[in-house]
Amino acid sequence: MNMKKFTRLTCLAAAAALSVSASLVSCGDSSTEYYTASQSHSEIIKDAAGKGKVGNWGLGNEYEIQALLAKYNLPTSYLSQAFDMDGFDSDEILLASAMTYNELGLVINDYEGGYGYGNKVSTIDMNDEGVAMLEDNIFCTKEFAKENPNTVKAFVAASLKGWKYACEHPEEAAQMVYEAGSSVSADHQKFMASEVAKLVTTDTKGQKVTNYGNIDREAMQQTLDLAKKYIKLDDSAASARLASMTLDEICDDSFLTGAIGEPEKTSVKIQLKWLPQSQFMGYYVAAAKGYYDEVGLSVEIVSGGGDIGETTAVSNGTVDFGVTWVSNLIAANAGGMELLEVAQIYQRSGLVLVYKLAQ
Amino acid sequence: MKNFIKRLTSKNGWVLFVWLAALAAVWEIGATVIGATVRNHPEYILPHLWQIAASVVQPVSDTQTIFGLVMVNAWATLSRALVGFLIGMAAGFVLALLMSLSRAVEKIAFPYLMLIQMIPILGMAPIVLSLTGDIGVSRIVIAAILTFYPVATNMLAGFRSVSREKHELMYSYAANTFVKYVKMMLPSALPYMFTGLKIAAPMAVTASILVDTLQGGVGLGCLLSQSLKHNTSIYAFWEIVFISAALGILSAKLIGLIESLTVGGRLSALSGRLIRSAGKEKRYEKQAEKTEA
Amino acid sequence: MKSRQKKPKLSERPMFETVTSVLYPLLFGAVIFVLWETELLHRMIGTTESILPTPSHIADIIANNPSKLFGNLMMTMLPTLIGLALGSLLGYGVAVLAAMFGRWGAGGLTIVSCFNAIPIVALAPVFNNLIKTVTSDITIRGLTAKVLVIIVMCMSSMSINAYRGLTQLQPFGEDLMATYGADRKTVFLMLRLPNSLPYIFTALKVSLPLSVISSLVSEYFIDTVEGSQSRPGLGRMIRSNILNAQYATAWAYITFACALGVALYIVLMLISKRVLKNRGK
Repeated sequence: MNMKKFTRLTCLAAAAALSVSASLVSCGDSSTEYYTASQSHSEIIKDAAGKGKVGNWGLGNEYEIQALLAKYNLPTSYLSQAFDMDGFDSDEILLASAMTYNELGLVINDYEGGYGYGNKVSTIDMNDEGVAMLEDNIFCTKEFAKENPNTVKAFVAASLKGWKYACEHPEEAAQMVYEAGSSVSADHQKFMASEVAKLVTTDTKGQKVTNYGNIDREAMQQTLDLAKKYIKLDDSAASARLASMTLDEICDDSFLTGAIGEPEKTSVKIQLKWLPQSQFMGYYVAAAKGYYDEVGLSVEIVSGGGDIGETTAVSNGTVDFGVTWVSNLIAANAGGMELLEVAQIYQRSGLVLVYKLAQ
Repeated sequence: MKNFIKRLTSKNGWVLFVWLAALAAVWEIGATVIGATVRNHPEYILPHLWQIAASVVQPVSDTQTIFGLVMVNAWATLSRALVGFLIGMAAGFVLALLMSLSRAVEKIAFPYLMLIQMIPILGMAPIVLSLTGDIGVSRIVIAAILTFYPVATNMLAGFRSVSREKHELMYSYAANTFVKYVKMMLPSALPYMFTGLKIAAPMAVTASILVDTLQGGVGLGCLLSQSLKHNTSIYAFWEIVFISAALGILSAKLIGLIESLTVGGRLSALSGRLIRSAGKEKRYEKQAEKTEA
Repeated sequence: MKSRQKKPKLSERPMFETVTSVLYPLLFGAVIFVLWETELLHRMIGTTESILPTPSHIADIIANNPSKLFGNLMMTMLPTLIGLALGSLLGYGVAVLAAMFGRWGAGGLTIVSCFNAIPIVALAPVFNNLIKTVTSDITIRGLTAKVLVIIVMCMSSMSINAYRGLTQLQPFGEDLMATYGADRKTVFLMLRLPNSLPYIFTALKVSLPLSVISSLVSEYFIDTVEGSQSRPGLGRMIRSNILNAQYATAWAYITFACALGVALYIVLMLISKRVLKNRGK
């Protein structure tokens, strides 16, 4: 027993010693790497990319970052970023991807799960850089839309009513999401709600949007064009489909308007793109305030964030509606699925690159 | 005799305690080193054990503690694991029976059983999901797929372990297949089956946690990935690490307990976790001898 | 078994055994293949080609991207083999120590066996985070994190099995050694070690598929440089393609992952047959 214990202790001691020395080295040189407010975005991006320290989550979230890197004539490879900001915190990533409503909130604020950087960080916005791609939408399969047009119209109308209320009363909406069983802290939920409201009511050019859910064809076209450029597919059949894809194959705004008849299917499910949080407050508000009941629908909200994506779940009929990013829908259709966007909730990109400011 | 066992188990318990203490000491050294070197949030990398212990009473919302949240999710996962395990056990049993009855079935099934174990769950899950149309059912089915293999292989090994002499004896009795299985094959294979079950039970737990991560909802895996994404307290993750390990161990222990109650192992209660005691084999031989006589 | 009782016939000849062990699964496979390729299977289980791509579609992708597939295969195979070797060695070492120290050893073994009960999805992020503090080289970090997870996963099955092999001796063997007046060291070398050999292979048969799967799953969490030239490993590619709804591409990688597991298993079986046969002589 003594021997075994001894061996084990030695191993761990060695590992610990190694980690101490390595950490000391990394602590020493990192403080000089921060940027100043006077530096141009171009300068910052080139520096971080040169060091290989631009981070993104990948898995279909990377195209805007790649477009940004390409804009500055840089190679489009990036560092994989976990779904937390630890890498940014420890300076492995100098330019980290963050959603304005989620990760950025964690970086800035010091509530539970936060990093408390406050105003010691600054951001590069994809909308300002002209590489914005549209994100959260509502979609279903083409077949479902064709067979249940009234259900789709009713669902979209009630959801948009929920979104309108949520954007006008973000604090109340955050509380509803929290009460619906989200495990995110109430403080972060409130922050998220106010940030999401901005994305829903402002377009990529910074103009105010009042027609909720509007499918802005110009922004959609930019999204499709960038998707064609940066979605790299190994499947030749899929890349051929992607290359020839048109806007009409991925979205249809006819469900946003017109009279709503009797819903063909009254009990529907919607799968979120991520964990239950204020990012999806419109649906929670619509459910809590009875907007779905008003149009004769019974709606179940299914949490996302797992490895079975919302595109797959909608495509194989597990759920009827889904919330996804337009680029993910494009990739799924290239892969042979028949999905159709029926409303565009976020009118501008919520993705930013965040960096630390030298103090 | 009872007293003797009690004394020995308590002594073993003491040994275990010392080991756990050593492990905890190593963990604490690691946590101290991490705490001294990582500037922000060392608890994301390796928190102190007392921090994890303290987090048990920490509230995560107005009405719930982190531990309460973990337990709600643990219950969901555990119930799915149990159903998956039972289905997997039944499937493994039936398959082993079929394979032992027919060489052709064995030859066909065996390589594919291997292959199915090799397919990553991620590839399998969407297909199972299309098949069942429900994530909850899919989770149970996948947990069953992942757990039936050890049961099937161990059970088959048990059937195959019956000696030729016994087969010949049964033949001399002109026993039909049914009688042969009930009187000889099944009792002989039982210890092997329990070995398989002891492997399968913790696997059912870990598999259920893994399939939780396929989609959101309630479950340890869901909470684990939520916690890793900083969507809830990081201590939920650390509590899950300990609770999942505890659940895995307890599930194997439970099978061991059932084994000692059913096949009645005086020895197995003592050392059955690790040692497939030679004495037991002898006992089964004695039983067989009795049948022979 | 049943046939033993009957008169010798065709099915008893060894040739027949060998031929059918290959033929039966092949025939079954052929039937499935035809159903799959003609998409009859899709209709039977109610799925679409976009979720369960046909073999020809998968083969097409493999043919078009050989360097990418093999590159990722290597990045998965390397840590799998290193982790399996190190984990098994470590596990055997633990078993030897446990066998030497009686009850204390058995207690330690119980602790080691507990590691198996921690799910990979919980273990992988822990190791990935720990490794972050050790080195800043991203490739080494990824490989090390993978290897560590596999070591932990393999260690317990080897230590438990090897311990069994080292302690569960034929009763007469120990008696014989006692009559020779052999010391503990001799008993260990001449009796315990050889006795544990088949148990080592039993352990490897369990831990080999486990190490492949652990390698695939731990890749979900490791850090890597993403880009057209990156080779993060099969598991990572499977996951990113599935999340991106590129099932045909994902299945090309799944095919490679299965092939890796099966190929390693076959090699293990061949080695074990040879080693255990020689031992019998």
